[in-house]
Amino acid sequence: MTKRRPIGAILLCIVGVMSTLLGTPGYAQQTDRARQIGGKFMCMCGCNQVLTQCNHVGCTTSSSMLKELDQYVARGDSETTITQAFVQEFGTKVYAEPPKSGLSLVAWTLPSLYLFVGTIVVILVIWRWRARFTAPLTPAAGMPAGISEDDLQRARRQVAQETED
Amino acid sequence: MDVFGSFALLLALVCAVYALVGGIAAIRTRHPLLVKSARQAGLATCGLIFLATASLVYLFFSDSFWVAYVVAHSNRDLSTFYKIAALWSGQEGSLLFWSFLLAVYVFSVLLAYRNKNGELMPYVGVVLAGVQIFFLTLNNFVASPFKVLGAPAAGGAFDVFTRADGNGLNPLLQYPEMVIHPPNLYSGYTGFTIPFAFALAALLARYPGEKWIHLTRKWTMIAWCFQTVGILLGAHWAYAVLGWGGYWGWDPVENASLLPWLTGTAFLHSVMMQEKRGMMKVWNVWLVFSTFMLCILGTLLTRSGVVSSVHAFAQSSIGNWFVGFLAVVLLVCLAAYVKNRDYLKSENQLDSMVSRESSFLFNNLILLVSCIAVLSGTLFPVFSEWLSGSRISVGAPFFNKVNIPIGLLLLFLTGVGPLLAWRKTSTDSLKRNFGWPLMFALAAGLVAFAAGLREFYSLVCLMLCLFVAATISMEFFRGAKVIRARSGTSLLASAVELTTRNTRRYGGYIVHMGMVLIFVGLAGAAFNRDAQKEMQLGSTLKIGPYTLLLQSVDSKPEKNYTSERMVVEVMRGGNKPLMMLYPERRFFQTNEQSGTMVAIYSTLREDLYVVYAGQSPDNQLPVIHAYLNPLVKWIWLGGVVVVLGTIVTLLPNRRAVLALSAAPKAAPVPAALAQPLTPSVTLREGHD
Repeated sequence: MTKRRPIGAILLCIVGVMSTLLGTPGYAQQTDRARQIGGKFMCMCGCNQVLTQCNHVGCTTSSSMLKELDQYVARGDSETTITQAFVQEFGTKVYAEPPKSGLSLVAWTLPSLYLFVGTIVVILVIWRWRARFTAPLTPAAGMPAGISEDDLQRARRQVAQETED
Repeated sequence: MDVFGSFALLLALVCAVYALVGGIAAIRTRHPLLVKSARQAGLATCGLIFLATASLVYLFFSDSFWVAYVVAHSNRDLSTFYKIAALWSGQEGSLLFWSFLLAVYVFSVLLAYRNKNGELMPYVGVVLAGVQIFFLTLNNFVASPFKVLGAPAAGGAFDVFTRADGNGLNPLLQYPEMVIHPPNLYSGYTGFTIPFAFALAALLARYPGEKWIHLTRKWTMIAWCFQTVGILLGAHWAYAVLGWGGYWGWDPVENASLLPWLTGTAFLHSVMMQEKRGMMKVWNVWLVFSTFMLCILGTLLTRSGVVSSVHAFAQSSIGNWFVGFLAVVLLVCLAAYVKNRDYLKSENQLDSMVSRESSFLFNNLILLVSCIAVLSGTLFPVFSEWLSGSRISVGAPFFNKVNIPIGLLLLFLTGVGPLLAWRKTSTDSLKRNFGWPLMFALAAGLVAFAAGLREFYSLVCLMLCLFVAATISMEFFRGAKVIRARSGTSLLASAVELTTRNTRRYGGYIVHMGMVLIFVGLAGAAFNRDAQKEMQLGSTLKIGPYTLLLQSVDSKPEKNYTSERMVVEVMRGGNKPLMMLYPERRFFQTNEQSGTMVAIYSTLREDLYVVYAGQSPDNQLPVIHAYLNPLVKWIWLGGVVVVLGTIVTLLPNRRAVLALSAAPKAAPVPAALAQPLTPSVTLREGHD
């Protein structure tokens, strides 16, 4: 117990530092509404980046899109209205993430479905493989005398194989 | 030299075809001379590819502006350093470079095993030759890098034109990391061909036992390590050059590199099940097949224009070739599996739900789910267009939402899995191994929460990182303590001794520790912030604890470009001068393109990332865009630790040497136990 303390103390120090680093209030994201909405659109220059993150030198597409967005926001348009306007102008490819409706819902549900089905399969596999396991017989009194040299060799090989590395 | 290069490539194709046909004949007839000649043809193929690659490099260095590829990707003022990078900067050259790296692997394998594994190697040679034939066909007939500029002239002649200068290299590629990132990534992609070839060969030859796994372990580790380094270097390049403040944008090309990495990682774990318990033979073979096919699929996505990406090569019909090759590979793998599936029968048996075997199954599940989720997200725009007629984009926000929980699950298993025992883990063992780390992680979470950390995923990530770090540290500590008690050396020396005794196990722990550091860095992304401002000389921009003062803006002509840079003084805590930063914009005259050079002040705590974002169109004032990105450095440090860990796993154990010296002093034992025992084998739970 005593010997674990130094490691524990070191790790707790790391936690302290980390939580201070991550928890500093000044690090909170300071976004305006335009930036928040802009994060939901893709830049249409073909860079495959989110609109507010496209920073290619000379990218005129993102600057004009951001300007347009600023105008909508300054006018006090709702997020839905702005989204509709962008979709009308650029098509559905302007979405940074698929909308959670219609065909796009498939994109959202698939990963959860994979995980769910996969987990069921793994559990079934484990259950099936577990069912094959039969516990070794408890040796009766005087049993060691009956262990053959072959069995002993096999046991040694297995022990070596399963404990090395 | 272009003719020489073309001829070398053509001859290489002929040799590869001979290696394939001769190899098949050798397998059928088992004639030793045929076996040998097929192998020699394989070696000759590699030699000729080396010569062709050297020819192209020479053409770049000699400014041979009659070769179309050289004209398109180089110019006279391009530095020597980047003339090497120009080799893989376009479609044709990168495919030749692919062939080159594959040839390096093939050459090494054919030489290393020339007198070993006689039953398996002809099959391996045939599979490798098959893959080489595909790429050499592309090199020769579809995307030759040796095409010259010219036009047919009268009398059937061909007039060759020579340009005065070339178009120059893409500015985005004129960055030091671009000279090492693609070779690493390509070495990863091509390296997975070796385990694929051995797995398919073992299946075709019905090669007994798990030997093919032992033979390919190092090759798989090497390929995986290259892939990891390639991905991280790519991320660092994106971070330092593209100037958008991030390192991973879930771009299709980035995703393409991640897919084989995920299945390769799954294989590296599940293969232990086969080594130790003879289980999951079918699964392992298909994991290797999938990894190789994902490498090809990634290349297909990058080069066909199926998905849009800034990283992708120009759209071309080359994608059809990759689709065809992928189909052939799939058919061959399926046929081999159907024909010889009985060879893969294994006695799958689990003793307990809580065991190492179960953890590997879940590890594989999560890695595979992540892989399929990334793949389906990447291809979803294409499918949506097919199905509904309108393309729906899937950008970074989607991938982050889907993959962050999956990544955290994987991180959890990274801490739990290695300490579960093979066959069965007792409750006592669970308490002993996980009690303290779990309590520590929970306590840390409470402290962090109390300190103001409210971002859910970051908080969970922090707790899991500490949990995993604690379990790994305790493993090292416990083992080192035993050695220290016996040898009297320091704890650190004992830990080193411990690692050298079982490099695979402890190297694996080091790799896991590296992954923990990477996750720490990723957790910081939730707290990124940025600020942008039009700057006059002497004006300041505040971001976090830093104040940026614009001192001047100057312009300087360089050999290959003109640099326009900001001279920015960084002050911290009010007006305390800290350092100078020089964010740049570069204008490349030859191709009339421009690029950024980001200035970064990097510490373990955060990166101050400053971009010269151009001039305001309204008043021509220079615009500065500054980001404060916490903990980014931990990602790169984690990458270094992962590489070190991988190197350790590749080293041989010291235990074998100790065994020889320890054997003579063995105490007398009963006759029944008088066989030489493996020294210091201690049967305890939770080890590998």
